Amino acid sequence: MKAHFSDYLSGMKAGLREMIRILRKEYDYVSVLATDSRGINVRISQRSRSVASETMTTERGIVVRVCKNGQYAEYAFNQFDPAAPGKAAAEIQGALEAQLVMLRLAGVKTYDTPLLPDEAQTLFVEKETLQLPETVDVKALVDRLGALSDKGMSLNENAVECIVTAQSTHICKMFLTEKRDLCQSYVYSEGAAVLVVSREGNTQVAYESLSGLCGPELFDGFDAKIVKAADTAAELLNAERIEPGEYEIIASPEVTGLIAHEAFGHGVEMDMFVKNRALGAEYIGKRVGSDMCTMHEGALCAENVTSYAFDDEGTLAGDVTEIDHGILRTGICDALSALRLGVQPTGNGKRENFEHKVYTRMTNTMFDSGEDSLEDMIASVEHGYLLEGMESGMEDPKHWGIQCIIKMGREIRDGRLTGRVVAPVIMTGYVPDLLGGICMLSPHREVFGAGGCGKGYKEWVKVADGGPYLKTKARLG
Amino acid sequence: MLDKLTELLKASGVYGWEITDEKKNGWEFYFIRHALDQHRAKNVEHITVKVYQLTDDGESIGFASSEIAPTASQDDMEKLVADLAYRATLVKNRPFTLTPPPEESVSAGKASDIADISADFIRAMSELPETETEDINSYEIFACDVSRRLITSTGIDQIEHYPSSMIEVVVNARREGHEIELYRSYYSGTCDAAGLRRDLEKTMAYGRDRLIAKPTPVNGTIDVLFSGSNACPIYSYFAERMNASLVYRQMSDYEIGKPVCPAFTGDRVTVRAVRELTNSSENHAFDSEGALIRDTTLIEDGVAKRFIGGRMFASYLGLTDSFNPTNIEVTGGTRSAEEMRAGRYLEAVEFSDFQVDEITGDIFGEIRLAYLHDGDEVIPVSGGSISGSMNDFAGSMLMSRDSAQYDYMKIPALTLLRGVTVTGAL
Repeated sequence: MKAHFSDYLSGMKAGLREMIRILRKEYDYVSVLATDSRGINVRISQRSRSVASETMTTERGIVVRVCKNGQYAEYAFNQFDPAAPGKAAAEIQGALEAQLVMLRLAGVKTYDTPLLPDEAQTLFVEKETLQLPETVDVKALVDRLGALSDKGMSLNENAVECIVTAQSTHICKMFLTEKRDLCQSYVYSEGAAVLVVSREGNTQVAYESLSGLCGPELFDGFDAKIVKAADTAAELLNAERIEPGEYEIIASPEVTGLIAHEAFGHGVEMDMFVKNRALGAEYIGKRVGSDMCTMHEGALCAENVTSYAFDDEGTLAGDVTEIDHGILRTGICDALSALRLGVQPTGNGKRENFEHKVYTRMTNTMFDSGEDSLEDMIASVEHGYLLEGMESGMEDPKHWGIQCIIKMGREIRDGRLTGRVVAPVIMTGYVPDLLGGICMLSPHREVFGAGGCGKGYKEWVKVADGGPYLKTKARLG
Repeated sequence: MLDKLTELLKASGVYGWEITDEKKNGWEFYFIRHALDQHRAKNVEHITVKVYQLTDDGESIGFASSEIAPTASQDDMEKLVADLAYRATLVKNRPFTLTPPPEESVSAGKASDIADISADFIRAMSELPETETEDINSYEIFACDVSRRLITSTGIDQIEHYPSSMIEVVVNARREGHEIELYRSYYSGTCDAAGLRRDLEKTMAYGRDRLIAKPTPVNGTIDVLFSGSNACPIYSYFAERMNASLVYRQMSDYEIGKPVCPAFTGDRVTVRAVRELTNSSENHAFDSEGALIRDTTLIEDGVAKRFIGGRMFASYLGLTDSFNPTNIEVTGGTRSAEEMRAGRYLEAVEFSDFQVDEITGDIFGEIRLAYLHDGDEVIPVSGGSISGSMNDFAGSMLMSRDSAQYDYMKIPALTLLRGVTVTGAL
């Protein structure tokens, strides 16, 4: 079925249009993003169970963007009476003018920016889903997650807790200007199975996730994740510490995604180019990886949690080839940064929610696949590790350092897995070295979208990333 | 609207309920260099409803929550209450009683002037001593006046006002055509201009040193000294492991009356939850469930003294007067700065993202700048990483007597972890 577009937003449209008309008398540019995204969030463990309607992306509110004399400003609010658009317009003008009074007193200069174009465009998208979070059978979902938690506990004698979470969100967004009218509605879901094991003071946490551009039907795939988490937990309890050093590594698709995200995901967010915060700006057209390294980014290049039809500035979704056979071709860009840089926006202008500013943000960040089998890749390693499971990562776009915290590594010696497991593993290094070392890629690709991404340490948004098994060299500790 | 919602909940027959009404009036300013990229204002209200249902036999309790729009109609509210009342019956937890009203009155605070707070931040940033080689790339200022009201079925009706501010600053340093950046974010109640200037001056000095740093040469173990906010996760590890939610779910093995590690050869940590810290962004009178926040000692001289946490898990552990802690104060250091800085050690001042896992105890972080101290010799180094486990470090760590505050945490100014594994950059 179609994910039905919000009746609430539809009912607001005429009032918002009138508010835009009123504000246009004062401002050179006016746009509105109105959101109404609902969800379900079930969290079941052996010792705590809860149901909530909030997920990371549920929201209902309005943000108005205006521009006057080259100065952009925004006002976010969540109480709008469509019968009184003039009142809202006056409130917005009053609040922004109060800020300008303070700014003038402080002698602040404007970072002058051209006017955003406003070409006529209409779009109405309702994507397919089998179920909606608003109408899902919550009792059945609670019972199912409860059974999964019990199953997780039964699979490992050292288990002390098994937490199973399921979240599904129905995103509805409407972008309006004088000439544009874009509406989209889609559903994404994500879940996680977390098994905590403890033995003689050694406590370990195994984590498996699933995500997709679909409704709560996604959770039918939980069983295999529970089994995998139990297996991983058992291995973690017996894991050793790695001997620090540089090794040949094979990144699993999840770790490949983490590398993509941290290496040339953040590194080519072009709002960083505007601030001269990214070394990538100086490397467009230059080699940053091996011939085998090709990377895509965009809401259209995979179907997962952030595969929208248009971004939070009304730019249609895209698919950008960032790195083409080792050569950095371009970055991703929000609309204002694109104006400042004289390039086209790529559909990557995203907000944490309506209360937050737009930044250039990732959507699906993917390495292209190759033709090498995983078996051949393992057979080619003299001494190294097959890295599995991501914990976290951090970028350094100005210096091209990278930090990836990885759950575990499986030792490979003389072309064979030895059965020895090390954990945790911290992978660090210089991004061009890491990408320059890519020498084998598997045909199979996976996408992972259960996590969130911050800009610095804030502005959390949904992203997805992934790719194939990938062989390179890295420094592990 | 709150009155109507309250009436609906009272009439619904549910076991209990809570309404949280949070209003935020915020100003934001985004600068590239010192030119204004954008200014933003927000005026929002978030109302969250939580409903509890007790089974007829009293054997289990369930709860469900949802936000409801401040513009919701009567029909919307009736549907929400009915949905939550049903959903709460679907999840079954061990029974616990809801937070009773406080015996003492709660200070409501007062509204903050976000224009003044914003102007203070802008002035502070304009007066920084930038140089040709170290300057400000960009910064983002957030000033917010928050009011939070909690109404519950047990008779709680409390409100508090407080300021909440944040400034994110990116510092550039350059040398011989090479430029790097250092990232900082400062959370506080209002603008601490002097503290901001002091820390950013230090950050600029770190930038200078990072540009001349050599690759971290160590491969093996060395004592690592933490002399900044990077030490906060180390102490959060102790505080989190005293939280009733981790203890009850067996993710922390701390036991009351027992040491938090098998043996001590170093300093013994004392951890307290405190109601107020100067200009903290987390100075609250009551927690999210209405429990009063009080100064409470959690760990004393390395011995677990009192678990702490939210109502449900605290009840399961039999705790009274418990709450979700906000500010944390750590003491227990016995050494002067000079004594802490003796011998050969690595002073780590800049990480990509230093983390401590409160469940496994694992620590990890990529080194962006450290100083390798060996007697009188001090060498700036960069690259590589540190790793290890707090299970190994907790008993031998050393702390300075003097302290430093980083927003909601007041901790020893210097912390030394012994025998940390370092993966060098060579």
